[in-house]
Amino acid sequence: MNFSDIISLLRISLHAMVPLALTAVGEIVGETAGLFNIGLEGILLMSAFAGAIGAEAGGPYVGLLVGMGVGGAMSLLFALINTYWKGTQMVTGIGINLFAMGFVAFGLIQLGAPGFHDVPRAVSLFKIRTPIGLYSPVILLALILPFVIHWFLKRTRAGLMLKAAGEMPEAADVAGINVNRIRLLAAVFGGAMAGLAGAYMSVAWLGLVTKGLSAGRGFIALACVVFSGLNPLLALLAAFIFGFFQALAEWVKTLPSKPIPGEFVSMLPYIVTLLVVSGAIGRVRFPKFLGTPYKRE
Amino acid sequence: MSTKEAPQQSRLLRGVHRTLTGLHPVLESLIAALVGLLVGAILMSIWGFHPWKAYFALIQGAYGGSYEWASSLSRATPLILTALTFSICLRAGMFNIGAEGQMYMGAIAAVCITYFTLPPGLHHIVGLIFAAVVGAAWSLIPAALKLMRGVSEVISTIMFNWIARWLALYLAIYVIVDPLRPEKTLSIPLTARFPILVPRTDLSYGIFVSIGFALVIYFLLWHTATGYELRAAGLNPSAARYGGIRTKRTMFLSFILGGIAAGLAGATIVMGLPPTYAVYGGGGLPQLLNMGFDGMAVAMVGRNHPIGIIVAAVFFGGLNAGGRVMQFYGSNPVPLEMVRVVMGAIVLAMSIPELIRLFPMAKKGGQKLIQSLRRATRGTIEEESA
Amino acid sequence: MSEVKALNQDGFFLRAERITKVYSDGTVALKEASLEIHPHEIIGLLGENGAGKTTLTKIVSGLLPPTRGRVISPKGAVRFASPREALGFGIGMVHQHFALVGPFTAAENVALSYERPFSRLRLTKIIEKLEALMEESGLQVPLDVPVEKLAVGEQQRVEVLKVLSRDVDLLILDEPTSVLTPLEVDELFNLLRRLRDADKSIILITHKLKEVQDVTDRIVVLRQGEMVGDVRTTEATTERLAQLMVGQAIEQEAVELSDKELPVRKTRKAVDRSGKSILHVENLVARGNTGKIAVDDVSFDVYAGEIFGIAGVEGNGQTELVESLTGLRVPKSGTATINGINILGIDPRQIYRLGVAHIPEDRWELGLVLPFTLAENAILGVHRWKEFRGAFSVLKWGKINQHARELMDRFEIRAAGPSAPAKSLSGGNQQKLIVGRELAKDPAIIVAAQPTRGLDIGSAYYIRQTLLDMRGKGRAILLVSADLDEVLAYADRVAIMYEGKFMEVCSPDELDRERVGMLMGGVTAAKETA
Repeated sequence: MNFSDIISLLRISLHAMVPLALTAVGEIVGETAGLFNIGLEGILLMSAFAGAIGAEAGGPYVGLLVGMGVGGAMSLLFALINTYWKGTQMVTGIGINLFAMGFVAFGLIQLGAPGFHDVPRAVSLFKIRTPIGLYSPVILLALILPFVIHWFLKRTRAGLMLKAAGEMPEAADVAGINVNRIRLLAAVFGGAMAGLAGAYMSVAWLGLVTKGLSAGRGFIALACVVFSGLNPLLALLAAFIFGFFQALAEWVKTLPSKPIPGEFVSMLPYIVTLLVVSGAIGRVRFPKFLGTPYKRE
Repeated sequence: MSTKEAPQQSRLLRGVHRTLTGLHPVLESLIAALVGLLVGAILMSIWGFHPWKAYFALIQGAYGGSYEWASSLSRATPLILTALTFSICLRAGMFNIGAEGQMYMGAIAAVCITYFTLPPGLHHIVGLIFAAVVGAAWSLIPAALKLMRGVSEVISTIMFNWIARWLALYLAIYVIVDPLRPEKTLSIPLTARFPILVPRTDLSYGIFVSIGFALVIYFLLWHTATGYELRAAGLNPSAARYGGIRTKRTMFLSFILGGIAAGLAGATIVMGLPPTYAVYGGGGLPQLLNMGFDGMAVAMVGRNHPIGIIVAAVFFGGLNAGGRVMQFYGSNPVPLEMVRVVMGAIVLAMSIPELIRLFPMAKKGGQKLIQSLRRATRGTIEEESA
Repeated sequence: MSEVKALNQDGFFLRAERITKVYSDGTVALKEASLEIHPHEIIGLLGENGAGKTTLTKIVSGLLPPTRGRVISPKGAVRFASPREALGFGIGMVHQHFALVGPFTAAENVALSYERPFSRLRLTKIIEKLEALMEESGLQVPLDVPVEKLAVGEQQRVEVLKVLSRDVDLLILDEPTSVLTPLEVDELFNLLRRLRDADKSIILITHKLKEVQDVTDRIVVLRQGEMVGDVRTTEATTERLAQLMVGQAIEQEAVELSDKELPVRKTRKAVDRSGKSILHVENLVARGNTGKIAVDDVSFDVYAGEIFGIAGVEGNGQTELVESLTGLRVPKSGTATINGINILGIDPRQIYRLGVAHIPEDRWELGLVLPFTLAENAILGVHRWKEFRGAFSVLKWGKINQHARELMDRFEIRAAGPSAPAKSLSGGNQQKLIVGRELAKDPAIIVAAQPTRGLDIGSAYYIRQTLLDMRGKGRAILLVSADLDEVLAYADRVAIMYEGKFMEVCSPDELDRERVGMLMGGVTAAKETA
């Protein structure tokens, strides 16, 4: 293992961090307002697919935008069901996951190749050249966003409103805040971020779409959120840690001599997630009304 | 609030009211199913297919004849069990999303009985026990994590799903692999295979395991003190504790039962699915794939009640069986994956309570009906005021 | 404010005209209720639980839209789409269950209704304004502590400050005194009088007849959604008010309890305390949920055939004391025994077997599993007893349903049947179910925590009579209640609890209202002279 290997490892970690960080930060905003979206996995998958199609139609930026749009729309539906229509968040999330699994598999068949689809190189997002390799600008966004959101949640009145909506919706209502509308907006933002993450995977990073592309990333992002205690900066850290282990797993697979079977290496990110989540709990506090729809009586 | 003077009631009216309110959950599931199918139809037409032809093929393939029925029931068999995994834990107040992983491990455990020679009957039982124990064990670790460290069982069970997938793959490809045909594991020996129930179909006696287990769970939950405690703890942990119920125990119990159910699901597939009676390592465990998640859909449509689950499983099994026919039917057949799309849409529809309220005309009609019934029957039931 | 006065020729600030409210599930909360509100007056809005008081004020303050009817001001019809609009108009409401965000400080809670969304939070300005307000109104509250850490009385002050900081003309308070000591109630009423004199309008929602006669100018009575009375306070009598509230003549004794004077217990008889006590508590210390000491070295005995009352404003350790004695909390130190057998730190089920019945203070959270049927709730806590459970823990539903029907008979529980879901029962019937269930255990001692809270007069009276019956049959009763009149009227001995300690244990005859008020507020005789 030499220096360039380490750099390569870190580089891939950075790439792997992006979808996790974006999704996690988006979900933090949603959960602060009281919505727990277990359907992130499905949103990632759908937006990866949609992003690829969008990119082929109109170029990489269109692809990213389409991804964001699809993510935002799916989250909008999720939020609508669980605010105004007083639904059950868990069930909606599971429904989204199922639907996405089927839809993407179905769509891939329609596109010709059952199971996977290559995104033409010409359409991939441009990369910034640095002395230590090529990096996508989305990475920059993923690094900056947590800081912006952290400031937003702590220092603006809107952040206060979000927290009130999640912690004690009745108090927020009395203070004149439209609880359902704020939850809707928070969810759309979260979905747009997850959508960006998904599109990033297919358009800017991996360059392909498979029906298993998300590989549990949506749930790992949820683990980041749990680990972070709704602090975007900690979520970024968590995302990097998990991304690192995903990269490590890939790297080990490429070694000529296989010290560990590939299957065990593939388990690594999930085991790490478990360990981190098991170790970190005990000090975090979540909004009291997380997961409950708000009824005005 | 107010208890009005009860006018002379016709018993019929009261009975109708009670039936309607009792049937309400069933109606909701039916409506959700219809909405899901509708969504599927819309998507199919967008992509250029003929939805009604496709649905026709689907229904034919699901319930068209005894062979088709047997196929549907065969597919329903593991679904009943994985649905129970989700439902039992839900009734205890927990979200166990780990049926998928617990099922994989159960299946692998079932394959391991090829290493023994036992008389039939005993061999079956040992296989079931292996699968049940391993499934329960796989489910216990997330339970322990939740109890001891407060780890969200949603996250931990999902992580264990992925870990199980890779572990099962590894074991299937390298450890219990069939030396003659490395794409699959060793096959279950004849003495441990479930006999086929309907000749020339793939419906085995495994269906009895599923239905039997469902009935056992029904009895346990509604006719024993232990089940009572589990349900109480799930609905109101504080009141349960007041009633002297140890909520940690009920939680644990639910995870154990759930793990057993999922493990058994794996066993029914491995021990009951001709022609190979083995797990296919290549292609990522295709026969097992997604049974866990589909089970959750079944659980929800079945309102988390064992009887409802059996019915819903037959419906979803029918969707799967019909899908296989649908994908070859006609000049422009609809691919199998559309079935999962429909399932997802159904679950989404299920997540909206009082779905009927969203349709204005039906809503008005329904409200009028309920209001007139209510006016007629008021006085026998006390109403809680705001 | 003076503008409003100048503008309104008709002399009113706001008028609700023929308000009808029907909820989406068909419940009729209000029927053609009308109310005229003038400046410079305190209106008492009286009624039982479920009469529609809260609904009416929520409509007036913009939190709910009426199904029919309208709200008008001298300038024309007013329709509030949100409480915020109502606040802008000058209407503020202090809720019964505070609308405060726990982890936020008082300043942050006030900030919620200010400022534009994306602006930076300017907490310093808000703090300045609040400090000025505290000076003016006499309400003192720490402004930088998360409100969930404040005492209940302090939290209420934050609520009031929140509303006052918006310069309201109409102040609505929903059952504000249930969490206050008599001293604090006096302070609050003085503040209200000051506000009234400054030409504000005040609506005081309450079900307490004494209070409403104490501080209001006018009393409006609601019954089952209808306006049944609108009288000047000076012209109203307690009996008439009670009659209007309930709709029929009610038991004399029940009315007596609402009188200004503390009633003399007619049925008080001598209690035999020569033998051993049933419940013996010694030096009990217990922590609350926040880790602070909630029960601070409490000792007492309860004998057979007596009602031992614990009075005091809620939040002074009563809850933790009851929890420690019923297996729901493990105390830090001390002893407690039932007939000599230890009851600390053991399972509730074992405690029930020792002959303890527990009527919990929160019937929805502790006492019942609401989605369960009446029958299922009837065996909560005793579901493993031999009569209901056979071999392999199989439940005997036949016996259970029979038991439920017996309870319904004996305790006059009105419900559709044993398989009716508990949530379909009214509050009074739910409480009767709990009481029935607990008494069916044939207990040696009954721990009753806030047993009549939130109940209509009829049900409350029934339950009190039941407790008296039990006392007559030689049971021991531990009655914990924030309803001072109830405790003083029914207890043979009473302890006033304040900040975890028993201030005094004596017979209620030895206490007068002044003394009780001081004790509840933590003032002992010694301090008074200092």
